[in-house]
Amino acid sequence: MIRLDNVSLAYEPGRPVLDNLSLDIPAGAFRFLTGASGAGKTSLLKLIFLAHMASAGRVELMGQDIAALSRKQLAAMRRHIGVVFQDFRLIEHLSVYDNVTLPLRIAGQKPAAWHQNAVELLNWVGLGDRLEALPATLSGGEKQRAAIARAVISQPRLIIADEPTGNVDPDMGERLVRLLVELNKMGTTIVIATHDRHLWENFDFPRLHLQQGRIQQMEGGL
Amino acid sequence: MSDSQRTAPRLLPPENLAGPALSAVTMVMSFLACLALGSAILSDRAADRWLARATSAMSVQIVETRLLSAEEQLPAVMRELQATPGIAAVNVLERGDLIALLEPWLGAGNIGEDLPLPLLIEITPDRQTSLSTKALQAQLKAVAPGARLDTHGRWRETLETTAFALTLFAGLVLAMVTLATATVILFATRAGLQANEEILNVLHQIGAQDGYISRRFEAHFVRTVCIASLAGLAASVGFFYALGGLVADAREGAFLLLLTPVPLAAIFLSWQVTRRYVLRHLRAQL
Repeated sequence: MIRLDNVSLAYEPGRPVLDNLSLDIPAGAFRFLTGASGAGKTSLLKLIFLAHMASAGRVELMGQDIAALSRKQLAAMRRHIGVVFQDFRLIEHLSVYDNVTLPLRIAGQKPAAWHQNAVELLNWVGLGDRLEALPATLSGGEKQRAAIARAVISQPRLIIADEPTGNVDPDMGERLVRLLVELNKMGTTIVIATHDRHLWENFDFPRLHLQQGRIQQMEGGL
Repeated sequence: MSDSQRTAPRLLPPENLAGPALSAVTMVMSFLACLALGSAILSDRAADRWLARATSAMSVQIVETRLLSAEEQLPAVMRELQATPGIAAVNVLERGDLIALLEPWLGAGNIGEDLPLPLLIEITPDRQTSLSTKALQAQLKAVAPGARLDTHGRWRETLETTAFALTLFAGLVLAMVTLATATVILFATRAGLQANEEILNVLHQIGAQDGYISRRFEAHFVRTVCIASLAGLAASVGFFYALGGLVADAREGAFLLLLTPVPLAAIFLSWQVTRRYVLRHLRAQL
């Protein structure tokens, strides 16, 4: 699903954030990505969810070399990747319903085809009674659930979450990760970057630890 | 709420995009463009009419020479004119008519009986048959050395030059208005992109194609420019209608119809400027 070969990323010449990094995450896997602040977790995720291009090396997603894709093909590939941001990135003037269903509208699907599924998904994440609410009126947990619902609504093959529990209390954080675990059971590949030790201790999934630009694979719960 | 009751949301909030300021500038620009275009059309029509009158009136002036008086040359000139194809009518002006023509310059009562005046013959060309003025001039010179054909060429040239200058001026005004409008739309688009950067990032991340994002901006700016330029057209129609008291053509439906390309051009311009700028901006990103 995700394959990085000798990848480097530098925002400024001579100061690489990621240096000669290699990584292989198979389809259907669940991985935590850990590391100290500034270790490059977010930068690595940005390479994977196609917000940045590598300065060197090869990034392969879903069997395709990213560097060889056109802008249209990159946009099409992004539709297969659901991203949950730490700061939610909900569009403030749109309702919860409109935020969550945005990926489907962008994909050009007719509302009649997805309206019922969207309502069911919002009920599933506990936002069934907040469809018309604006993001500003939601709690942190509700915003995060709306962000997760938006990430999963188009049934992506890969979900990337950057500190998804950073703005919610521990109980809510655990519930959100359980939601992602359920999606993983349905075959979706999940990568979660987190600082939260409780998460990787409570959920028995392999952990990728980023240190000095290198990846160390560690077993779950360690 | 069922899906059928919902309308597609506006992804770009109107408050994040230029509104009243862009509308006001576009309306003024559209009004000026209509004014320039309308003035060019009216002046061109007036020049055409004046030129038609100028070419339909020629005259022959006979002055006395050392050997022959003007009156002695008149019969030969008349014979030549009547024999020349392309001339519908000739009319020898009386001395009284000549004095009436000169009085505005020399003053009433200042032209005495002893003042020698040339003979003046008005020629009405036949519109069905072409007339060679060069050949006629040569023939008249041959039969009457004091005869000179006046085709009002210098006046016509001045008129043509003036009409051309007015058209050129209107063209320049239109070009400047187009440039100013394009610049205003470009700045408004740039400001819109900056104000909506976070939304664009989200749209980009969830897989929106460049064209999809661009169409959100195009829809806003084309709608704004459409309304404002139509208001500018309406204002210019009002202006020309009021001007109709002075220039009859300005109230004609056919003339007013000729102004409609202005809002159409403004709409096309806003669409192209917005589209090109947004796509270029998006392509500069990943």
